[in-house]
Amino acid sequence: MDMEGSPQVTRRTTRSCAVSSNDVESTKPSESYKPTLNDLAFGKQPFGLEDLLSRFPCRRTQILEFLRLLGPLNSPLFPVLVYGGPSTGKTSVTLQVFRHLNRPFIYSSCVTCYSPRILFESMLNQLLFHRKDSKHSYSSVKRCERPSDFVNYLREALENVISSLKGNSGKSNSKMSGRPDGTMVYLVFDNLECVRYWDKSSTILPFLFNLYDILKMPEVGLIFISNISPDMYYLNIGYVEPIPLYFLNYTEDDLRHIFMVNQTNRKLYASFLDVVLRPFCRVTRRVDELAAALSSLFKKYCEPLSDKEVAPNEEMKRKLFSQIRPHISSALNETFQVRSQPLLGAEANKTKKTNSSKMSGILEDFDKIDFHMSTSAKYLLISAFLASRNPATLDASLFDSTGVSDSRKRKRKASEKSMDQKEMAEQELHMKGPGTFPLERLLAIFQCITSLAEDSLDEEESRELTTEGSSRGLMSDVLLQLSSLCNANFIIKGGSCPLEGSTRYRTAVSEDLALKVARSLKFPLSKYLYRR
Amino acid sequence: MGREKEKEKPSEKALNLLRSRLTDPNFIFRPLSDYPDSNYSKLKFIISTSVTEACNNSILLLGPRGSGKVAVLELVLSDLLQQYPEGISVIRLNGLLHSDDNCALKEIARQLCVEHQLLFSKVASFDDNSQFIIAMLRECGLAHKTIIFVLDEFDFFAQGKQRLLYSLLDAMQSVNSQAVVIGVSCRLDVDQLLEKRVRSRFSHRKLLFLSPSKEDTERFMEHILSLPVDSNIPHNYAAEFNGRLKKIFSDDRFKELINTYLSFNFTIGHLVRFLFQAVSYMDLDVGFLSLENFKTALSSNQRQPKLECIRDCSILELYMLVCMKRLEVKEQNSYNFYTVMTEYKTIHDSSQTSDNYAANVCLRAFEHLLQRQLINFIDNRGHNQSVEFRPVKLLISSAELHQGLKSYHQCPAILLKKMDR
Repeated sequence: MDMEGSPQVTRRTTRSCAVSSNDVESTKPSESYKPTLNDLAFGKQPFGLEDLLSRFPCRRTQILEFLRLLGPLNSPLFPVLVYGGPSTGKTSVTLQVFRHLNRPFIYSSCVTCYSPRILFESMLNQLLFHRKDSKHSYSSVKRCERPSDFVNYLREALENVISSLKGNSGKSNSKMSGRPDGTMVYLVFDNLECVRYWDKSSTILPFLFNLYDILKMPEVGLIFISNISPDMYYLNIGYVEPIPLYFLNYTEDDLRHIFMVNQTNRKLYASFLDVVLRPFCRVTRRVDELAAALSSLFKKYCEPLSDKEVAPNEEMKRKLFSQIRPHISSALNETFQVRSQPLLGAEANKTKKTNSSKMSGILEDFDKIDFHMSTSAKYLLISAFLASRNPATLDASLFDSTGVSDSRKRKRKASEKSMDQKEMAEQELHMKGPGTFPLERLLAIFQCITSLAEDSLDEEESRELTTEGSSRGLMSDVLLQLSSLCNANFIIKGGSCPLEGSTRYRTAVSEDLALKVARSLKFPLSKYLYRR
Repeated sequence: MGREKEKEKPSEKALNLLRSRLTDPNFIFRPLSDYPDSNYSKLKFIISTSVTEACNNSILLLGPRGSGKVAVLELVLSDLLQQYPEGISVIRLNGLLHSDDNCALKEIARQLCVEHQLLFSKVASFDDNSQFIIAMLRECGLAHKTIIFVLDEFDFFAQGKQRLLYSLLDAMQSVNSQAVVIGVSCRLDVDQLLEKRVRSRFSHRKLLFLSPSKEDTERFMEHILSLPVDSNIPHNYAAEFNGRLKKIFSDDRFKELINTYLSFNFTIGHLVRFLFQAVSYMDLDVGFLSLENFKTALSSNQRQPKLECIRDCSILELYMLVCMKRLEVKEQNSYNFYTVMTEYKTIHDSSQTSDNYAANVCLRAFEHLLQRQLINFIDNRGHNQSVEFRPVKLLISSAELHQGLKSYHQCPAILLKKMDR
């Protein structure tokens, strides 16, 4: 049987690359690292069981069960499915268990390997000790797209690895030389729930679950890690289910235990947790989100303390509590917000002012948008929002040339039937979401708005903007701005109109954000919004 | 490592032995096949007659997953290979991998090449491969060598145009060949899926693999879990282990446990996995299996995933679920985030609770529910709408939600009240 060498990929050279090719060749190529059998182990110094248990404070039962399922050295096992909510420690526990046991394993995540070909090639690269580097144009060792090819290559690679492991185990103590123990290889598949959304998921998912039966190699152990429970993997061909191992979400006591680890001032932090942990746990019990939310709150909690190392007594605790209490409710409402850096500094400056402006300082931040946008992009965003929210028939009345913008609806007394109808209509509006609009309408509204804005600007300033070609100058940017807004998901490309075939767009921003943007431009958005 | 092996406790040796037994299909299915009337003997008879009498044959092995079809087949094939070392050549195909005709022919050609030490070219075309296979069939027929084709997951080969099946069966009939086609499938009606021309060339032999009777199951469990007396495990330890095992088996609670398990998962494959779990939970310090091990294995198999999900939710997420349930009760079958938020606000307006959060926090809770698959989008193609407007549906029934709320630690009373109305 002839073996395929690594495929040669031809590289296209760009002009700049061809010009500066001399410089590229003159730099010395860095020494590429050749992986070996020892790389199948975790790589760092293995540790004992007590160390492992102390690293994961509330996972004792799960770790012990996992160790029991993996069994002693060289003992075969059935496939195991580790499942639980996100951020419960499944991946880290699995990897650290393999470090503790010092057994060889390969790891591939179905998030980074987002198609079957990448998944197969990544696993083969690890088993055949191939590292992608610039010498081979970052290609994998074998090109493998179909499961049938993958099974053949995998079997070959596994047999080679297992025979070299058997050769190693006959030699002396492996703990000194960093060699992995045993003759079994474990394959870890992480984030298995992502496979359900692949194009070929109807063949790949049954293939992965039946891989143990297809390979029929007792020296291979399969471990699947998933965020969703096993009953959500329904396949119409059926499979013998892997042994489940459930990682349940942390309870409040567990969370307290976890957050107290590695704290310098334990008593202070304990008193802080007594106050804030319960309200925050009502919102979310995920460790990563709570950690982000609590860290900034803790800084605020410690502010009045001059000495951060002191253990608080009862009176101090009460004072700190009363000081932090008004902040808790507002902090709960921004639990999931991750602030950008400049605002953190601004907030710190603001809180040094008097108490009365503390609340207003926080409210002010809500009104500002915390990202940068060019002026024309902001106008485009607002026009898209208006185009989605208002029906097209109202454009003429809202945006007529004189700039008069108040609606001329006659106010009739609202009867009960019309109120019900209004409610139904509003509910329908909420269900349908924002409407779609063609590109021409967007540009028309954009021109109206910007011409209004230019009129209202100061004459001196406007001279720079409203020169003869300026509205045309803005126009040439607009299409580029539109595509960047689409890429940033502020505007979504909707389906195409069935009659004309041109694409339609839809806004994806909420009313709050549009109001914030309009406020930053001093644009009266509420006057233009159509309210039924 | 050599020094440590001598100090290995007898319980560790026993654990290793039991685990390797349970994962070895040959060991498991051999005792079940020792009866004269078993599928093993029938299959062996059929294949050996076609080998000795130089005729073609085809057969289907049907049965639920884990009933040992492929295991018994492998036992038969290994026995026959010992009996006729030069008279049989086995080609194995799997429907999950090789349902495409090109793939299948390439794989057959590759396996034939490996078997007969020929060079295999990866770039051979479909026609080259099929000509090669027909030529090999003819040659093997002339040399009185039977080629056995094992088609696992046979129902996948019966999808589409069934070209491979037709060409194989046709070649068997026209060319001077000796071949046996064995199809293995979990679908009991797989022969109904065959096309007329394929079915006419297929003999209607079927072997059904059913689960063994209760007495056979008990005998089987005792055989598997008893330690052998003549191995390197100390004799008195093995005797005590087997004695304790007998006591557990005769216990009524154990019988009830096994009946509960077998009423849901009745194949040998499932039973073996259950025993594997129970054996892995054995406490090495005690050194013997106990009833507790079996109970733990049973409880880890009897999971209620939706209730577990509910227990893992935070209180805000429970609020969202209850709002959606109320919307369903109000006959609104499709709802999205905004309608759920209006319902949420009405709950808070009617009863002033402390859990009134802003829309962005509720949106994150909504996304957590999506991640946990407690709710899901109604259509997966609506990517041109933002998350707040796409309609969703609940994936949990109201009975499960009710049960989950009741067993939730410190569930707010208002949620239960709203659910009851």
